[in-house]
Amino acid sequence: MVQKRPDRTLGGPHDVFWDYCAKGQLHIQQCQSCAGFSYPPMKSCEHCGGANMTWQPMSGYGHVVSHCRFEHDYYRGIFAIPHDTIMVELAEGPIMMSNPSGFCNDDLTPNMPVKVAFTACEDSAGVFQLPVFERV
Amino acid sequence: MTAQPLFKIPQPTTDMRGVAAIVGLGETDFHADYQAARAKAEDYEAPTTEGLATLAFERALADSGLKRSDIDGVSVNYLYGGPTAAETAQMLGLTPRHVIDKGGICAGPIPVASAAIAEGECDTIALIFSVATRSIGRKFGGQLYGDGAPSSYYYHHPWGWSSQAAHWALIWQHYRLTYGASEADLGAVAVQLRQNALNNTNAVMQTPLSIEKYLASRYVVNPLHLFDLCLVNDGAVCLILRRSDMAKDLPHVPVLVGGWGEARVTANKLHMLVRERLRPQFQAAGAQALAMAGVTLADVQHFEGYDASTIHLINHIEGHGFVAPGEGLEFCKSGGMARDGKLPVNMAGGILSGSYMHGWNHVAEVTRQLRHEAGARQVQDVQVSMFSLAQTDMVHPIVFTRGGQ
Repeated sequence: MVQKRPDRTLGGPHDVFWDYCAKGQLHIQQCQSCAGFSYPPMKSCEHCGGANMTWQPMSGYGHVVSHCRFEHDYYRGIFAIPHDTIMVELAEGPIMMSNPSGFCNDDLTPNMPVKVAFTACEDSAGVFQLPVFERV
Repeated sequence: MTAQPLFKIPQPTTDMRGVAAIVGLGETDFHADYQAARAKAEDYEAPTTEGLATLAFERALADSGLKRSDIDGVSVNYLYGGPTAAETAQMLGLTPRHVIDKGGICAGPIPVASAAIAEGECDTIALIFSVATRSIGRKFGGQLYGDGAPSSYYYHHPWGWSSQAAHWALIWQHYRLTYGASEADLGAVAVQLRQNALNNTNAVMQTPLSIEKYLASRYVVNPLHLFDLCLVNDGAVCLILRRSDMAKDLPHVPVLVGGWGEARVTANKLHMLVRERLRPQFQAAGAQALAMAGVTLADVQHFEGYDASTIHLINHIEGHGFVAPGEGLEFCKSGGMARDGKLPVNMAGGILSGSYMHGWNHVAEVTRQLRHEAGARQVQDVQVSMFSLAQTDMVHPIVFTRGGQ
């Protein structure tokens, strides 16, 4: 079942990120000058401004740093409330906002380990694979 | 990625310490306007940016005791559009020799105007902030909120994560786990600010708030309740800033712009916000402002912090070092932030219970406090006040001192 979601940011490096997701892969930009990761996708390194960044595959493992549950309908019905969001620190260091899959925030334990999974979603630009996180 | 600031804040240097002073203050009728907007009577007319700006300016001019012709600078700060500074001057019957259009939320425009005075661009400048936030239906989260920039405000839509409240919610969830704090602990901040607002007849909120009422309120972004988040209301604030050597012999004691600072997050934004709670930025920017003003943190007798949420006010108190990390909620619960506490905080109710004037309301309260004209909420003998703006990726404090007359 394809879930309806609010729109992604698209264009430039964002398209590369989502193209990897479409293949079931989580890749994050890494600077060739300072080795720092940048996320969300951007044109130059957020640490040193370097323009030479490559896409690095992530292990997909990480842990939950924090979380919150939306009970106000900011998205006007596009994404039903309540819905849970989690802040995940990947094993390699980058931090992503995401959703729990196969569990809810009430199930979380401190620094709970998680691993990436992909779920089919649709926004106004079409169907895409959204990276979410499952219990390890 | 950090959004580019609208304007460049001048370097904090000691030669600009006390060069400018606030000599005039005007505000609109926050409480009455909010009540009218809620009641929506048949003949209700929503306020406009221009109408609110005019009222605040006229009140500030009258308050300053100056003549219209004394105003030779105009800075406009309309967050959601409005006339240019030149058009505003014309509307108000002013003929400035210096105008500043790139304004915004407080505190940045005050150092910019102070530098203009220091550089001789003008002697007396009216800084006008005006927003019809409620009337225009401004949203603070969701798909229609944003400009497509890849910042944390706008990027995470596909996961259903947006809004300013969501940033504070992540902080609070992490904080309460780290320090073992409860919802009632955080509710004490909302209750304290409401108590402060009850001493301010112009505060939007005029009904008492209890911990029970706080706990029973709905969640907006769980674990944050409705009362953890700032108001949305219409209004305007005008400050008249004047060369301090020309600020004597006026109706009110001048309030000197002592020093300012600025620090920004440039990378690892969610980490810096949620786990560090901007502490490195608070420390750096606070040190700049205090050094420029020639005072220490221990000299600060009254604090106004940007209370976009209850937990964010605690970030300020802990980040600047008034209390150690993890001690802010206990400090509030034990009365430390009350008028007679160790550090009186947000005496007019802040933006949680006072008026959502994006920091301008906080500086208005600093002005009243340092003039010793704050009535029932006056902090005794206050000589040094600190205002601190912090958004999700920047900290920008200003230290003010009571001038001589």
